[in-house]
Amino acid sequence: MSILVNPLATVDQISQSGSQLDGVPADLENSIRFAGARLTQAAGILLRLPQDIIAQAIVIFTRFFVGPEGGSLKEYGAKDVSAGSLYLMAKLSSTPRSPRSVLNVYAYLDSFPSTFVDASEFDKEKDPESYYLTEGTYRARRTLLLKTEALILRVLGFQTHVALPYTLCINYLQTLDVFSHPESQDLAKRAFAQLNTLLLSPQLVYLTHQPYDLATAAIYLAAREVGVKLPDEEWWEVFDTDREELGFLVVAMRSMEGFAAEEKRKWGKRKVPLTVEEVEGELERRSLLNGEG
Amino acid sequence: MKTRWADDEDDAAAEAQRKREKEDKKRAKAEKARKLEEAEKLRQQEAQAAATARNGANDGTHHLSERPVKRRRLSPEREGDGAQPQPPQPRKLLRFAAPEWGPCRHVDNFERLNHIEEGSYGFVSRARETATGEIVALKKLKMDTATDGFPVTALREIQTLKASRHRHIVDLREVVVGDTLNDVFLVMDFLEHDLKTLQEDMAEPFLPSEIKTLLLQLSSAVEYLHDNWILHRDLKTSNILMNNRGEIKIADFGMARYFGDPPPPNMTQLVVTLWYRAPELLLGTDKYDRAIDMWSLGCIFGELLTKEPLLQGKNEVDELSKIFELCGIPTEESWPGFKRLPNARSLRLPPSKQNVGSVIRAKFPFLTTTGSQLLSSLLSLNPARRPTASEVLAHPYFREDPRPKSTAMFPTFPSKAGQEKRRRHASPDAPMRGDAPRIHSELDFSGIFAGRENEESGAGFQLKLI
Repeated sequence: MSILVNPLATVDQISQSGSQLDGVPADLENSIRFAGARLTQAAGILLRLPQDIIAQAIVIFTRFFVGPEGGSLKEYGAKDVSAGSLYLMAKLSSTPRSPRSVLNVYAYLDSFPSTFVDASEFDKEKDPESYYLTEGTYRARRTLLLKTEALILRVLGFQTHVALPYTLCINYLQTLDVFSHPESQDLAKRAFAQLNTLLLSPQLVYLTHQPYDLATAAIYLAAREVGVKLPDEEWWEVFDTDREELGFLVVAMRSMEGFAAEEKRKWGKRKVPLTVEEVEGELERRSLLNGEG
Repeated sequence: MKTRWADDEDDAAAEAQRKREKEDKKRAKAEKARKLEEAEKLRQQEAQAAATARNGANDGTHHLSERPVKRRRLSPEREGDGAQPQPPQPRKLLRFAAPEWGPCRHVDNFERLNHIEEGSYGFVSRARETATGEIVALKKLKMDTATDGFPVTALREIQTLKASRHRHIVDLREVVVGDTLNDVFLVMDFLEHDLKTLQEDMAEPFLPSEIKTLLLQLSSAVEYLHDNWILHRDLKTSNILMNNRGEIKIADFGMARYFGDPPPPNMTQLVVTLWYRAPELLLGTDKYDRAIDMWSLGCIFGELLTKEPLLQGKNEVDELSKIFELCGIPTEESWPGFKRLPNARSLRLPPSKQNVGSVIRAKFPFLTTTGSQLLSSLLSLNPARRPTASEVLAHPYFREDPRPKSTAMFPTFPSKAGQEKRRRHASPDAPMRGDAPRIHSELDFSGIFAGRENEESGAGFQLKLI
C-alpha cells in the first residue's frame, strides 16, 4: 500500500504559503522553488545519489515551503532547505552522504555566477579556491545543516514518506505489454524523463497527485511523443486515473518547457535568490523598480 | 470580573504562564475545545459545500452512491464548480485516503504522570493528553549522536512505526516536540504490561493455551512487518507490551529498518539484544534477512514456556556456545557456507560427529511433538531453514489441543507501569551504534560436549551426566 500512497497537500496548503504571508510575491516564490528543486537535482547528481533519493529530497523540499504553517522563504533560505532535504533523505536510504560531502557540493554549485548556466560550464576546469570551504566555514555550515534538518522534520511533522512513480511506471508499461515493441526502450526513457521534469513543476503535482496518476500520465504523453500506439480503450482507468486528472497532468508536463525557458529568460545572467538575504535584496530591488516606474 | 478566556489577544502571553499555573491549564483546555468546535464547524460547512457541489453535479443521474466519495479538491471551492457535466457512466476508480502533514504539536499538550522505564533509545513515561484526558505512553528520543544530526535510528523508528498499522503493533499517534530542537517525543498507546516484567512477577509460566495465543498474535505482527519489508531487529520479551485484555503489541522500533531482496549492503551486525541474537549475526554476517527476527521469535517461544530467557550468554562468545549447546553444532550439510562467515574462521568445533545434535526436545519435556518441531525449526542454525512468519501461523501446533485461549479469557495482572517505578532489567541492552566487536582469538567450543560420549543413550531417551 505505501508504495502507492503519498501524503497529499490540503487545499489550504496549496492555496496559501508561509512565504506569501510574509509578502513574497507568488512569481518569485515559483522561481525560487524551481531553482531550489534544480539545485537539489544537480547536487544529488554530483553526490552520486540514486535518482529516487534525489526525487524524494525534491518532494521534501517542496513540501517544506507549502501551506500557511510551512516554512517561509523570508525565514529559511531555499539553498539550506535543499541541502537539508538531500542530507536527510540520503541518511534514510542505503546510500547516506556525510555532511562534508553535501556541503562541498553545495559550495561548488554556489561558485557559478548565475543560476541558469550553460551545461558546457560544468566541463570547464574551475579554480578550486572558488569553492574551497575553510574549516571554520565548514563547521558553521554543518551546524546550520543539522539545524535545518531538524527544522524540516518539525515542519513536516516527521512525515518523511515519499512514494515515487518510477517503479509503478515500469510495472504499468509491462501491464500494457509494450516491452515487445521496438521503441519500448525510448518510451520508458521518455516516461522517466517526464517524471523527472514534473519534479520541478510549479503546479506541485507531486504534492497533489498520487504516484499512480503521475506514472499513468507520463506513459500517456511519452507514448504520444515516441509514437507507440497504446490501446484505444480508456486504459488509464485500469490504473485508477480518471480522464480529467490525466488531462491536467499532461498539460502540466507539456507546459514545463515553456515555463523553464521563461524562467531562464527572466533571470538571464542573474542568480535566483536562494538565501534569506538574497530574497530581501530582490524584494528591495523590486520595490525600487516599482517606485521608479 | 472579566472572564479570562474571552480575551483572544492575551492568548499568546497567557500561553507562557500556562506551565506554572494550574488554573491556566483548564483555560487551555477550554480554548482547545473551542478550537476543535470551530474546526468541526468548518469541516461541516466544507462537507456541506462539497455535498451540494456533488449533488448539483449528479442531478438527474442515479449514480450518486457509485461516485468516488473522497475526491480531493485542488483549488478552493468556487461558485459554479458544481455545474460541470459528468460522464454518463462513471466507473469506479480506486481512491486512497491520503494522509496529510503538518507541524508537530508541543509536548505541553501532555501532562506527564510517571516514569516507566529507560530503554537504550529513550525515556518512556506515562502521560495524559490534557485536552482529551487520554492516557498515552510518551517516549523521549535520545539525541546523543550530535555530529550526524538527527539520529538515523530515531528516524527509522518513526518511519517504520508510522508505516505500521496493525492490531499487534503499538500505534504511533504523533510526534511532539519540546522547546529545543533536541526535544522530540513519540506519543504511543499505553499498555499496562510488558511480557518481561509480567513474567518476572508470575508464579507459574503462561499455560500452553495462552502461549499459543501470544505466539499467534506475535507472529501475525511479524508477518505484517516482513510483508511490508520491515525488519524489527530487536524482538524480545521486554519489547512486547500486553494489556489487561490479553492483547499484545510489539513496541520499540529503535532498531527497525526497511530492507530489500537482495538485502541492502552494509547492514550492521550490531542488532538484536544478545540473548535473542541469531547465530549468523554472532558469526558476523552483514547480509541477513527476515530469519533473524524468526530466531528471536524462537527465543521468545522458549522463554514463554519456562518463564526464563532461553539463551543467557554473558558475551558474544558465551552466547554462541550456549546456542551450540542447545541446538547442536552446525555442519556443512546442515548449514552450507557457514564456515565462510567472518567470525566462523576462528571457531574450533568438537571433532566428533556424534551426539552433537539438538537437545531442544529433551529440554522441553512437556512440549508436544509438533510444539517442539516448531521450536526446533525456529531455532534452526541455518537461517534458510527457519520458517517464515506466515508458515508459523499455519503450523499444526496451533490447531492441536489445547487450542489457543481467547484473549478475553486471559487473567489480569496488576500493572507496574501504571503506578510504580520499575526495576532496571537484568537483560543486556540492545547493541549501541559503532563498530561490531570481532572475535579474533581462537574460540574453543570443544568443551561444550565434553562428557557426551559417556552419556548413556538408549532407545528414545538419554541420561545426561551433568
